[in-house]
Amino acid sequence: MTQTHSAGTLQPAKRNRWNATDLGLIAVFAALVAASALVAAIPVGGLGVPITLQTLAVMLTGLALGPGRAFAAVGLHTLLGLAGLPIFSGGRSGLGILAGPSAGYIIAFPLAAAAVGWMASVIIRRTVKFRAVFLFAAAMVASIVLIHGLGIAGMMVNAKLDFAKAFLADLPFYPGDIIKNVLAVAVAIALHKAFPDLLVRRVRKVPQQPATPEAPKPEASAQQ
Amino acid sequence: MRGHGFLLANYVPGTSLIHRMPLWLKFLLVLACGMASFLIVDWRLAAGALLVMCVLFLLSGAGAVRLFRAVRPLLPILLVIGAFQWWQLGGPVAARIVLNILLCVVAASLLTATTPLHRLLDGVVSLARPFRRFGADPERFALTIAIMLRSIPFIAGAFADVRDSARARGLERNPRALVLPVFITTVAYARHTGEALAARGLGEPED
Repeated sequence: MTQTHSAGTLQPAKRNRWNATDLGLIAVFAALVAASALVAAIPVGGLGVPITLQTLAVMLTGLALGPGRAFAAVGLHTLLGLAGLPIFSGGRSGLGILAGPSAGYIIAFPLAAAAVGWMASVIIRRTVKFRAVFLFAAAMVASIVLIHGLGIAGMMVNAKLDFAKAFLADLPFYPGDIIKNVLAVAVAIALHKAFPDLLVRRVRKVPQQPATPEAPKPEASAQQ
Repeated sequence: MRGHGFLLANYVPGTSLIHRMPLWLKFLLVLACGMASFLIVDWRLAAGALLVMCVLFLLSGAGAVRLFRAVRPLLPILLVIGAFQWWQLGGPVAARIVLNILLCVVAASLLTATTPLHRLLDGVVSLARPFRRFGADPERFALTIAIMLRSIPFIAGAFADVRDSARARGLERNPRALVLPVFITTVAYARHTGEALAARGLGEPED
């Protein structure tokens, strides 16, 4: 609950205030996470928590938007889902989700998006070669530590399972997650090629740029 | 336009006592049920509370079918948990765990069944109000929510369009062809929305 509340408040309170394009990106990516939860859900695993494109969209939001905006976008989705909009996987909604066994996953999504976004912004700025490998590692770390970690914690709290049982119930999600993270990184790299100023735009304000042999970027980007 | 149905999924119009309750009171009720699931240790007490919630749900005029539909997605999971915990911890504890989860779910669906969506969203926006002195801006927050709601049908449509075009090219098994165009469309759409907002002087920080 606390995380989702801060999602709404953190949004305008940032030092580097977001402009209209940032608001558009946050709102539309929140809609993307919602739409990808509604498209198709496959129930897998001991406790029947459905697998959807949702984790893919969450990871891609982080990889595409960076920590702050990704946290706001995914947090907005979580907040509205908890408020009663049927936008969680399988068309579920409401505060009742927090009592069910998948509560941990829902709470982990904004945090995972922020974590993978922070790592992605570092990777995109610092590295040129093997970006795909680094981005995949970042996505895997975020999904194992945050999504699976908090997911297991949620099952322990709500279904009163002990750690070993909750870990076993969580295990069937790993293959799907690895596939989804590979796909997320492939899409993220294509996205950053198509929109080179999507994530690293703020770096361009630095007067003296380091001479990195990166992909060519548009000189004056959409920023006014 | 596809995918508008989600906007009126849960609300049942009515004039019952619960419909007329202020939103914060309903929210407190749901919160109390959530707390109760950690405090109640006797399964009979949990069953009683669940019964009260179910009666309230039926009194609000939402009907037994909706009550069942609110609980149905959880039933298989609860059966597994209940059977497993019965075997591990015994009958009363298993009953308490399952009944407490059901209590929270019924209370939460009572809230969404008796409150229209725009009231709920107003409630969410008002959450930002106490933080105004820290730089929060409820108007921009509300604007972002409004843009998100209107974007969901567009993006659901983009998923369907991309799937159709991938099938037309014989690529319906290629996950990249199914997903990448949706994301490109999403970013382009978001940027156009941002430019449209900026052109109207909306959404820019004031200071």
